[in-house]
Amino acid sequence: MEHIIEVNSLAKSFGDKLALKDVDFRVRKGETIGFLGPSGSGKTTTIKILTAQLAATAGDVRVFGEPVHLLKDPARMKKIGILTDNSGLYDRLTVQDNLALYADLYDVGKERVREVLEMVSLLGEEKTPVKKLSKGMKQRVTLARAILHKPALLFLDEPTSALDPTTTKHIHEGLRELNREGTTIFLTTHDMDEAEALCDRVAFLHDGEIKLFDTPQNLRTMSGSPTISLLLKDKTTVTVEPNESGAAAIAGYMASGNLLTIHSNEPTLGDLFVQLTGRNL
Amino acid sequence: MMTTFSMKRVNAIFVKDWKDLQRNSYVLFTLALPLFFAAWLGRIGADSAEMISFPIVFALVIAGAFVQAAMVAEEKEKNTLRGLLLSPASVAEVFIGKSLLSGVMTLVVVAGCIWLAEFSVPSLPLFALSIVIALVIFLAIGTLLGLLSRTVMETSIIGMPVMLIFGMSSMFKSMITNEAILTVMDYLPNELLMNIWVGLESGADVGESFLILTVWAAVSVAATVIVYRKRRMD
Ligand SMILES: Nc1ncnc2c1ncn2[C@@H]1O[C@H](COP(=O)(O)OP(=O)(O)OP(=O)(O)O)[C@@H](O)[C@H]1O
Ligand SMILES: [Mg+2]
Repeated sequence: MEHIIEVNSLAKSFGDKLALKDVDFRVRKGETIGFLGPSGSGKTTTIKILTAQLAATAGDVRVFGEPVHLLKDPARMKKIGILTDNSGLYDRLTVQDNLALYADLYDVGKERVREVLEMVSLLGEEKTPVKKLSKGMKQRVTLARAILHKPALLFLDEPTSALDPTTTKHIHEGLRELNREGTTIFLTTHDMDEAEALCDRVAFLHDGEIKLFDTPQNLRTMSGSPTISLLLKDKTTVTVEPNESGAAAIAGYMASGNLLTIHSNEPTLGDLFVQLTGRNL
Repeated sequence: MMTTFSMKRVNAIFVKDWKDLQRNSYVLFTLALPLFFAAWLGRIGADSAEMISFPIVFALVIAGAFVQAAMVAEEKEKNTLRGLLLSPASVAEVFIGKSLLSGVMTLVVVAGCIWLAEFSVPSLPLFALSIVIALVIFLAIGTLLGLLSRTVMETSIIGMPVMLIFGMSSMFKSMITNEAILTVMDYLPNELLMNIWVGLESGADVGESFLILTVWAAVSVAATVIVYRKRRMD
């Protein structure tokens, strides 16, 4: 099995503050991995260490099989795309000029600029100076820049935090498409729906530690069994378990014509996170 | 450590900075200052090498050092330098691309000053050589100032003493009586440049001044590289 990212006993401290403690994980080629955690849990710190923007205090971090500090080499940087809140745009330049610069740096054709603008729903804004864009639009330009060269490995730090649901959905489709074409994606989010929608595996990060790391499906099973809510004609709600007695109860209400609606309560990743850490996402 | 150096990436940085410059009114205004100064000297009919050296040195300090410092500091302030360094572009490519643009702009401003002050250049090849060495010195000092400041605002504060010493000290020379200070001043790049240009006009020997000027270039480039290496980790 080929590991694109390998992290062993990673720790990071800022002065006395321990931001990451003993973090271990591996990412396989082609996976989409999500780090889910509340504010201050260490998500950005993890991405910065993986992209050699910060040095680890302890531990071994490898990307493409090599120690991460060797990353800074044109051939290797071409395989990586990065979206973090600290990678700025040139605000006097237009959207087009910002992307044209990176198209040249990555040695990709200018026609690719159109493609990525379509993916982030910004076609038509080519000539707009970046300083006239909204926060969410700037975030989308930065995302477009990160995927311009179809990187083998893409790091996204809260890629949709400033976006509306429709744009978010469109961008999720684009990211899945990129992933199908072979890009391994490492993203952070505090949005459990985003983690579920995109990720093959999700890590729960809390206080600088990975509490759980599994597929969204397995995580959901862990957080308890689903129940079924029945809304009756007299506006009362009855909750039953998905078993034989539940089935009998539902059949009874249906036969008597008392049943109005039926819906299942599947446990969410958010529920599990609260159970595990006592904290909301 | 440079594995591959790409002129294409240098050019990409240069083109980006050129597009940005056209919309940057702060930098455009700064670039125009030496031209006003030269035009004024031209009007009052001052065209000796000594007089014209003031606007030319002023142009080198303003366009070479000040503008370069502002451009480097802005890349840090707006976090765009971080983005470039996370791309395939190397540090050398980024700073060379930037220096090329500041260098070209400085040459344009210097040429404009010479034209506006109606100065006839003595011995063009040696004059040009002195300008090129001076460009290296002031671009390196500008890059250094930019690296030391966190914001564009800070460059104008840190840059002020540099401008006074390197750009204007010659003008106040007649007011200074302290021998030690006067001796030190003789070794400043602006004084050396003036010596060279006056010497070229009168036919005096300028070899020593050229030599010291070259040492300045080597030292300022080395200082800039050292400061960059020290600063990159924070
Ligand atoms: N440069 C720094 N200096 C000091 N402490 C820092 C620094 N960067 C991060 N920290 C601390 O490390 C911890 C983790 O921060 P990090 O930015 O990784 O959190 P995060 O999960 O990305 O949060 P958010 O969701 O708010 O972006 C926090 O307690 C933060 O205060
Ligand atoms: Mg963060």
